[in-house]
Amino acid sequence: MTQATGSGAIGGGQVEVAGVTKRFGETVAVKELSLTIPHGSYCCLLGPSGCGKTTILRMIAGHENPTTGDVRIGGRSVVGLPQVERGTAMMFQSYALFPHRSVLDNVAFALKVRGIGLPARHNQARELLAKVQLEKFANRLPAELSGGQQQRVALARALITNPRVLLLDEPLSALDEYLRLRMRGELRRVQKELGITFVHVTHTQLEAIAVADMVVVMAQGRIEQAASARDIFVAPRNAYVARFVGGQNVLSGTVESTMNGMAAVASDKGARFAFPVGEIRPARGAKLYGSIRRDRIGVEKMLPGAKPAGGLNTTVGEVHTLENQGSYVKVTIDLDNGEEFVAHVPDDTFFRNPLDIGDKVEARWSASDVKLLDDGPIAFEAAAVEARAASAD
Amino acid sequence: MHSADGSRPWTFYFFAAFFGLFVAFLYGPMVVIYVLSFQGPTGGMTFPLNGVSLHWFDALISQSRVGDIAGSFQRSIVLAAVVAVVTVLVSVLAGLAFRRPFRGSAFAFYLAIASLIMPGLFVGLGIALTFRLLGLPTGWYSSGLGAQLTWTLPFGLLIMFAVLGRFNRSYEEAATDLGATNWQKLKEVTIPMLLPGIIGVALFGFTLSYDEIARTALAAGAKNTLPLEIWAMTTNVTSPTLYAVGAVTTIVSFFVIVVALTSIGAIQRRRSRSNT
Repeated sequence: MTQATGSGAIGGGQVEVAGVTKRFGETVAVKELSLTIPHGSYCCLLGPSGCGKTTILRMIAGHENPTTGDVRIGGRSVVGLPQVERGTAMMFQSYALFPHRSVLDNVAFALKVRGIGLPARHNQARELLAKVQLEKFANRLPAELSGGQQQRVALARALITNPRVLLLDEPLSALDEYLRLRMRGELRRVQKELGITFVHVTHTQLEAIAVADMVVVMAQGRIEQAASARDIFVAPRNAYVARFVGGQNVLSGTVESTMNGMAAVASDKGARFAFPVGEIRPARGAKLYGSIRRDRIGVEKMLPGAKPAGGLNTTVGEVHTLENQGSYVKVTIDLDNGEEFVAHVPDDTFFRNPLDIGDKVEARWSASDVKLLDDGPIAFEAAAVEARAASAD
Repeated sequence: MHSADGSRPWTFYFFAAFFGLFVAFLYGPMVVIYVLSFQGPTGGMTFPLNGVSLHWFDALISQSRVGDIAGSFQRSIVLAAVVAVVTVLVSVLAGLAFRRPFRGSAFAFYLAIASLIMPGLFVGLGIALTFRLLGLPTGWYSSGLGAQLTWTLPFGLLIMFAVLGRFNRSYEEAATDLGATNWQKLKEVTIPMLLPGIIGVALFGFTLSYDEIARTALAAGAKNTLPLEIWAMTTNVTSPTLYAVGAVTTIVSFFVIVVALTSIGAIQRRRSRSNT
């Protein structure tokens, strides 16, 4: 396929969404969104249903057109171009394999509609089926295959045109847990092997973090954070990302004082935390949000009648649920103010002195593990600091 | 549903009896007609059977005094086939068009469906009068065809709505995504996937036409269709030939259904072996 070879220094598979808004009648699915996905990267669009992630994917594929804004692939605007001229291929959520065609004919379909003769297109389709270890099933109908096999057929069918961008709409949601874990590794391997851009839509946080180079967390048609999978997990930008991606507890409180890059913060219920604020000098009384990783929290049982130590960076509550996850135990604590607080306690630590549901516990952590979140008035302060830093360069 | 002691509740017997009555009412009279069509040559229109023979079927073929059964049968088959083809063409295209709402689509839909609730006899009468007004001769192939289409098209459209309601658009999007033109998409994906439903529409069009009376009666012109011929016979034929006609026409109906169902089955079997 000639259109498959990319052009230009930025790489043929770079996808740019530039200031795109998409309206469906009255509802706005995507608002003024800009995003650049580098050539050859694996990008996950992550968000709850209705956040606009599938709409973005469909606009890249050309199944929808942006109301305003531009979509560029390999540096060239593709708005209004037919699917074939974009160099994209799409894997649909339920695979959309043609039920009346054999596996071989499904894979060869793109060649058939391009007028390539039967022997040539079947040869090419067989080669691709061999790559996904399905050559034995060439003459079966899709309905005669398992979910995982169907997914591989869909992958082969999408790849036969040598696309520079593969778009995957919830590719794993139709599979059971076991296959989902296996196939996501498989997708990552195929992407590395082909070196093309993958854009993968999912609502499963761990799936995104497991496969992607770049994770884009979306909510209500906007991007909340676009960063590496590691940053999304360890350094969520705001409370929404911290809560949605999981693995974090969100703390909040009003500033009492600031000293040496640490702000002393009091929660509504009187617990006191220290937030590292760096260069920022939040005003007294300003509301700050911070996140603390679940696995950076120690949980200690309080003896009956004992008063909480009440030191900095502690919170008190009652054990609500315990889930043994093998290498760690997930402890959910009901705080006094009704919020939930989750700690991942390593199994050996936990079982040295096991907790029970209903136990009064104190959770504690180190201030240096708290990440300041970009919510509330602090967003402007942080922007100002960034601007100062930029002008100093 | 068995209760603990293995006996069934009284409702089971009540509904079983009701269903039995329904089946008897539906098939009993038909069975009586088929049995009586084998009446001996000297037998009459009622029981008892006076011997068993094919005499009345013979009388049917030799076409003496019973009317134009063979001719009306031919007309009915041709008419039903034409109705089936037109119904399929129009309702498939209309069904596809209605998937995307257009200005006035709701109005167009109600306009098309309204003819289902109009009294058929008057639709036929209206068509006949209009033809006369325009100075056109009425005929089974012109005004009769039109009258039947007012009945089969809305039915076909409703069936297509049901068929398309279950048809996932992502198959068509996948075809487009893989480079199919609109025409290729229709030919390679949409039509083949809808084919069982389309055969259903054809079957409906055929059978609705084949036994239509109300709309055809006044619009068919000089030559009768089979149902009209039979209707006329019930008033002036007083031999078991009438029953023989009933038996033969039923066989034709069953034949059409069997052909339709086996072709749907054959399509699915061919698909599973297909390699093209």
